Amino acid sequence: MAVMAQPMKRRRWSVMRRREAIAGYLFILPWLIGLIVFTAYPILATVYFSFTDYNIIQPPHWVGLSNYTTMFTADTDFWNGVGNSLYYALISVPLGLAFSLGLALVLNLRARGVGVYRALFYLPALAPSIVATVVFLMLLDPQNGLVNVLLRAVGLPAPGWFEDPSWSKPALIILSLWGAGTAALIFLAGLQEIPQALIEAATIDGAGAWSRFWNVTLPLLSPVVLFNLVMGVIWSFQVFDQAITVGGTTGDPLGSTLMFMVMIYNNAFRYFSMGYASALSVVLVLAILVVTAVIFRTSRLWVFYEGQQRDA
Amino acid sequence: MARVTPTPVEGERPIAGAPSRAVRKTNVRRLLVSLGRHLLLIAVAVVFMGPFYWMLISGLKTMDEIFATPIVWWPKHLQWSNIGDVLNYPGFPFLHYLWNSTFYSGSVTVGALFSCSAAGYAFARLRFPGRDLLFGIALATLMVPFIVIFIPTYVLFKNLHMIGSYLPLILPSFVAGKVGTSGLFIFMLRQFFMGLPWELTEAAKVDGAGEWRIFWQIMLPLVRSALIVVAIFSFVWTWQEFLGPLIYLPDASQYPLTLGLFAFRAQRTTDWPLLMAAASLTTVPLVVLFFLTQKYFVKGITMTGLKG
Amino acid sequence: MFQQPISRGRVFQLGGALAAAGALAAAGHTDAIASMLSDEVTVTFWTPGGSARYCQNFSNIARDFHKLHPNITIGKTTCGTGQQDFLTVLLAKIAAGNPPDATIYWDSPVTLGVRGAVMQLDPMMAVSQYSQAKYWPPSALASCQFRGKTWGLPLTGSPYAIWFNQDLFAKKGIPTSREKFPKTWDELRKLSKEFTYWKGDTLVSAGFLPMNPPELPATIFVWSALNGGTIYDADHQKYTIDSDQNVAMMQYMLDWLNEEYKGNRTAVDTSANWTGYADAKGRAPAFQAGKLAMLEQGFWFVGDVLSAGVTFKHYEVAQYPVGPGGKKTVSGFWPNWAVIPQGSQHPQEGFKWLDYLAGVGVEKWFAVTPDLPTNRNVPASLVPAVAVQQRGQAYAANLTRFFHHQLDISIPMWNSPIQGFAFDQINKAVNNIMHKVAKPKDALAAAQRASQNELQRVLHSA
Repeated sequence: MAVMAQPMKRRRWSVMRRREAIAGYLFILPWLIGLIVFTAYPILATVYFSFTDYNIIQPPHWVGLSNYTTMFTADTDFWNGVGNSLYYALISVPLGLAFSLGLALVLNLRARGVGVYRALFYLPALAPSIVATVVFLMLLDPQNGLVNVLLRAVGLPAPGWFEDPSWSKPALIILSLWGAGTAALIFLAGLQEIPQALIEAATIDGAGAWSRFWNVTLPLLSPVVLFNLVMGVIWSFQVFDQAITVGGTTGDPLGSTLMFMVMIYNNAFRYFSMGYASALSVVLVLAILVVTAVIFRTSRLWVFYEGQQRDA
Repeated sequence: MARVTPTPVEGERPIAGAPSRAVRKTNVRRLLVSLGRHLLLIAVAVVFMGPFYWMLISGLKTMDEIFATPIVWWPKHLQWSNIGDVLNYPGFPFLHYLWNSTFYSGSVTVGALFSCSAAGYAFARLRFPGRDLLFGIALATLMVPFIVIFIPTYVLFKNLHMIGSYLPLILPSFVAGKVGTSGLFIFMLRQFFMGLPWELTEAAKVDGAGEWRIFWQIMLPLVRSALIVVAIFSFVWTWQEFLGPLIYLPDASQYPLTLGLFAFRAQRTTDWPLLMAAASLTTVPLVVLFFLTQKYFVKGITMTGLKG
Repeated sequence: MFQQPISRGRVFQLGGALAAAGALAAAGHTDAIASMLSDEVTVTFWTPGGSARYCQNFSNIARDFHKLHPNITIGKTTCGTGQQDFLTVLLAKIAAGNPPDATIYWDSPVTLGVRGAVMQLDPMMAVSQYSQAKYWPPSALASCQFRGKTWGLPLTGSPYAIWFNQDLFAKKGIPTSREKFPKTWDELRKLSKEFTYWKGDTLVSAGFLPMNPPELPATIFVWSALNGGTIYDADHQKYTIDSDQNVAMMQYMLDWLNEEYKGNRTAVDTSANWTGYADAKGRAPAFQAGKLAMLEQGFWFVGDVLSAGVTFKHYEVAQYPVGPGGKKTVSGFWPNWAVIPQGSQHPQEGFKWLDYLAGVGVEKWFAVTPDLPTNRNVPASLVPAVAVQQRGQAYAANLTRFFHHQLDISIPMWNSPIQGFAFDQINKAVNNIMHKVAKPKDALAAAQRASQNELQRVLHSA
């Protein structure tokens, strides 16, 4: 660790700091430009539309908080959509995280031909999503799908999956697990960055496999865990393609698959209520922001950055 | 920085001379463990790959076999003619669309690597006022539903006279402005950069290196795995992109493969075998690319920390 | 100017300017000269989707059109993906001001017209060759009209009927002719029981399943009318979803479900795909598999009824039976509409093309996809080729005549400014009733409240 600057070097520190700050701005300059030119207007427009009555064709006219009050008091679908999305997020995120981490750990072993396995696990994510969803739907066909055939063969009850309102969300969650290859790949990259020397040192010190994982691997992997956790939350709240393929625009069966994003789509394009849809989007973004902020706050307790800086 | 040659994970040590009984027992145990691992991998791989395999094999089925029950895992006769039908299908000029997709995905990937690594690095390792707030904004842009900002974005590009080509789809990538993905890559690379020891920067600075050199020559190579992941994801997701090309491209001659797939669907029916064959052809380039990048995913690119 | 003698060059300049001015004036005066001098116009034309054959067929039709109107070229048809994205893209382009000049549309043009997204067509229709109001069946035209203004052309309008599996009927000794088919709901219900078998909790085969989800956007209006009620009263612009007849209708359907289908809609849905098309989950249709004896479907079904995997050879169609509260049989239809979006660069030329499509082009269209043309200028003797191949010319002609009649007795539909919103409410109500989550009266009342409120809101800002 570098020794703290001596008094006579203080002037140099501030010069260095200024140079670092300038460099910082220069490095983010492309992103900043992109933000101002391409991203800012559409997002600000959406926020503006949320306070208007806007049918896409005609100019919007101001209605203040009317959309927001309707949302919370008069929209019967709203609470259904919220409930469905929360259920889906709360279960699929931890499950997906555990599953993809386990997958990555297994794929990180130096078994022979592990590169082939890695490709095999990531391949499903490469198929076009319409194909992926349809194939999966076939597997979960209540009558003849492979899953139910196997369940019946071992004497377990065979649920109605996408046809049964009580099982449609669990079925959607299982569908999401199939895409775990994406998160696993990121974990894998993270595992690659862990210095072998540390693992060896722990082994020499007599640590068993679990202890090595818990005390060496996981802490060093925690920045990546944080990433997959936050991205998992964001993605799960934004699930759309699968929900609409499975349940259509009405969230069949019985509105059980009506996810928040489908609600937004319905209002924007089927009911021509772009203002209301914008309000729904604002609420969604705020909800995700809050959850993400909480995760980041608590991350200080469990995320370990080796590149920890002493000052911000 | 010294390189450490990788040693086997289990921490075994080579033992000279004839194996003792205890060692033989360990060898057997190790074999069983390895076998068990392979079986586990194979079992889970089969489950994972099953649907993907179904897509591939369905491209060689007849229409009846597609939905036959029980599931047809190997058709009676492989309809190789389906592939020919797809390649000659009106409305699906495969090679032409393949070129469009490659060009599109490649450009976006280059732009993403360039702009997102710079920003990710700055948010991770450079100190400047407003940094955390700006990072929060980068993250927040990921949370906005695409379908809602879709129309204002389109109007924006129309006013900039950029529609009717791939420009509105590619240019944002070079300024980390592709909604839904740029912020993600920035976030991911930031996490990886933050995992690198602070000592590296300090040592480099003591050596007199400027910020750019530190970034380009020291930091970037160390997050190679993450960069490869960014490249893979950027390429794959762009390859699969659908709504963007649909609205910005003027006519079918510029379509990427994903839009071409819809040539096989009618209003109420779908030509499933041909669609599956076409979908498989669309996916094969990605698979090839993925296998090619595997060799860069080499474990063992390590560095000892300056902890010694 | 007077300081120098007028040069020859100057004379030519002035002369040229005068000549040009003269030519321009002449051009502005006569239409004939104008059209000769007018530039080649290229019309952009979209359709939401269809098979490759269907999309490319438009090029053939466009070529014929070009021969008649040499100055108008129809650009290559942009065939959409047939998914919800088409609407998204179309609306975005209208909002940005660069929509296609003309497009086919798969939903009510009234919803677009009320919001100013498409142009009113009455003036262009009045001076057109094929599209004058008198050439359209009344209910078909009504589907595009709101407050007396027409917002789209119903190029095709395939009506609905009950299709049934004659071979299955014959096996059970049930009369297979169209005339002997059940005429009332009670008769239909009784007949349906003959075919319904359960094995434990699995429905193995069924007779007739009311409230068939994929077709509900059209057929719910038909069932309501069959029982003497309406869902949307266009003349008074109000919804009547929870009228007594509709409550009675849903109660009837619920009783039917309880009696024949164990009151368990989920068990029914889990058992098979009770429609005539493979569903989004890839399940084969039960009708073609011989497991469903009777099915309500549109005229287009003639192209798919004997599709791959079908287990029978003979089908027949019959009119809808009448409900307890109704007096006569009616039908419904699902059109392909055509509209001119607001902001179209060439509305006149675009309309000429649509007019041509309506009166002549649909014949070629029909040859590829059996969508029933509605315009009276199209010969009624047009017969779907696939039906001729499968059942012979005589039967095909008979079938087509039958469906033409169905179109004539169709009720007005698709004419609500909030078509999509209202349907989602109704769909929710129907599902809640059939899954026993809500009672008919309450579910329909909730749908009524929501729809009426939304209607008021939209009419207020229209």
